[in-house]
Amino acid sequence: MTQHHNVAVIGVGQTAFRSRYDEKTYPELAQDAVALALADANLQPEQVDAVVFSMAPTTFMGVADADKWAVDYTWARGKPFMRVHTGGATGGSALQAAHAHVASGQYGTVLVVGADRITETPDAQFVLNLIWDPFYEQDFALNTVTMTALATQRYMHKYATTEEQYANVVVRARRNALNNPSAHLKGAIDIDAVMASQRISWPYKLFDICPRSAGAAAVVVTNETLARERCTRPAFITGTSGVSNTVFMGDRMSPSADTDFADFSELKIAARECYRQAGITDPMREVQTVEIYDPFSSFQFPQLESLGFCASGTAQRLSDEGAFDMNGQVAVNPSGGTLCTNPIGVTGLVRAAEAARQVMNRAGAMQVPGVHNAIATAIGGSTQFFTVTMLSDEPRRAATSA
Amino acid sequence: MDVYVMGVAIHPAADAIRDRRLEEMAYSTARAALDDAGVQRKDIDHVTLAGSDEIDARGISSMLLAAPSGAYLKDEMRVADSGLTGLQLGAMRAGAGDLQLGLVVSWNQSSLGPLEDIARMRAEPFYLRPVGLNFAIADGLFANAMAQHRGVTEAAVAERVRMRLAAAAANPRAIRRAVPGAADIAGSPLISYPLRAGHRAPVTDGAVAMVLASGAWVRAHPDKRPLARIAGIESAIDRYQLNGERLSGLKIFEDTLQAVLKRAGLGSVDELDVIELDAQNAWADVALVDSMKAGNSVAISPSGGAWAQNPYFCNGLLNAAEVVLQVSGRAGTHQVPGAGRALAHGTSGFAQQMHSFVAMEGIGS
Repeated sequence: MTQHHNVAVIGVGQTAFRSRYDEKTYPELAQDAVALALADANLQPEQVDAVVFSMAPTTFMGVADADKWAVDYTWARGKPFMRVHTGGATGGSALQAAHAHVASGQYGTVLVVGADRITETPDAQFVLNLIWDPFYEQDFALNTVTMTALATQRYMHKYATTEEQYANVVVRARRNALNNPSAHLKGAIDIDAVMASQRISWPYKLFDICPRSAGAAAVVVTNETLARERCTRPAFITGTSGVSNTVFMGDRMSPSADTDFADFSELKIAARECYRQAGITDPMREVQTVEIYDPFSSFQFPQLESLGFCASGTAQRLSDEGAFDMNGQVAVNPSGGTLCTNPIGVTGLVRAAEAARQVMNRAGAMQVPGVHNAIATAIGGSTQFFTVTMLSDEPRRAATSA
Repeated sequence: MDVYVMGVAIHPAADAIRDRRLEEMAYSTARAALDDAGVQRKDIDHVTLAGSDEIDARGISSMLLAAPSGAYLKDEMRVADSGLTGLQLGAMRAGAGDLQLGLVVSWNQSSLGPLEDIARMRAEPFYLRPVGLNFAIADGLFANAMAQHRGVTEAAVAERVRMRLAAAAANPRAIRRAVPGAADIAGSPLISYPLRAGHRAPVTDGAVAMVLASGAWVRAHPDKRPLARIAGIESAIDRYQLNGERLSGLKIFEDTLQAVLKRAGLGSVDELDVIELDAQNAWADVALVDSMKAGNSVAISPSGGAWAQNPYFCNGLLNAAEVVLQVSGRAGTHQVPGAGRALAHGTSGFAQQMHSFVAMEGIGS
């Protein structure tokens, strides 16, 4: 029988996120997050068996080996080390890679860490234009804003969504972020303020778009035996899945396409597998909170629908009715989400860290009462890489061994 | 580990592949690995990629390479260290219980972009980049440390180049190169003292793919015969600083070698039949071989190592493919008779900051 060890998060750490950290180098920033995570897990560096580094494109910062530069600072010397990179989904993939380290029985305790400094480059969106194919799509004035604006227009056309409904998502995110000491943007704003912000790319206004953030995050995962020894309420990783799609957007909107660019329907595939592992059959009833990857206000509705919280085209109405507020049917992004904080290389890891903190009952003012299951998602590339991770208060199946 | 190699494919090597895009190289190699395993893309449930944005000259390399590598609507992730790191992650994913059959794919087409310019961008910007650090300078510092602290001589290094090139001549997958005389090597341009151009393995283009299966999948498919079992994986990274201790010591290499042998249930390196080393220059080759203290019964880099072909980023995965071919009796004219246990080595970072190993065992060994 193939081995399967149950895996749990026992500590998380994140710096405050803001536009710049001129007083710290990249590895110093990563070190701050590691120190916080180790303290949260009540571990010393020598108790970590392996390190997974979460780092997306290095072009923003201009140091291609920044992960290896950070080896001494993250106490990784002499240990197995790997850098995971799946664009915006990097943090989600890195956590799942660490899960594989432990679930396979290869290592007992693994540290996931990363940092990002998006504003080191004068124009991140110019850099992001270069991620597309140089022959077909790069000259099409694409960047992550214009790309996702196209998908948003398609979604609005399909489901008659209004700009005000997206603005309401921003209002909720900024309000939730008031409870998050690490959030980059936060505040009590209203729909009118969002609607009045500068037009960037229809239907996006400035407030519909995430900030460019600098900061670091780290998560400690370990096996069930060690987790129960070291943590009163670990967050067990009960489901991990991912789906990659083609880079070409045009191939995701034809009548015969396997997935629809507007709906993020890849997430349906990933969620099905994640729920199978975690034994979830009715997410709206069984999952109390989600930390979903939403760098744009339009990213919440298709994700919530593809994750099975509601039918296609209905999330906007539920959002208007307050179903996704802190006291709603499912609390969506109690941290404020990616709309308020986006250090790209670790954003997915922050989602998982926040979901884990909810399960561990360590979310402070962001805490949702009675969290048994929490979902974290991450999205990368041309909205083509998707990860779904379930964090739970207990393992959902028995460990097996060879 | 309860993880098996079901199929391997190595893209035909060339100093420069100019008639194919990287995506086409990845596609044909992944396709060939699936064919070698006797499975179809629809049968796999995950893909692990290994690629470098900087070397691939793509902002997020896997955006373009995931689908051609077989990952369309599959559970895919990528590492950015080296091809062998990709195999290690792929093995852990297949061994974790939920994923059963997967591809590992890595590539290198550095003929299209100058590696040394990329190396400069890898250096941190405060101390190392201003002094112009690149691979050659880091390797020169390492070579000098080996000469001073371990007594490695230029004559031994030249002889090692000749030995590897002679071995490569028997490897059907090697690029054909003449074996230079010792005087030619000694007279080759000095790159970074004491490293000479003739000491370095020429970098080539290429790609490698491998099909991995969990033990559960293998037992459920008795009609599919594995080529090898992954007996153990280990890796470790050294400090970033290129100080005296880092350059002159090989502790990380030696400790990690012992750790992987233990994982594989082996008491000493002499229980191996084959080792394929990732040495980018002959100074590293001599130093690493000496530090292993292997007896004559162990064939080290029978393929010719990096002098056969050297697709820089995926060279470690190429070594893994070579040792799978060895333990499955399919290596070709450089087959080591009776090879049953073998070790693949890979490196990454300046002056081998990271060492990775994968131990393979033939089925029935």
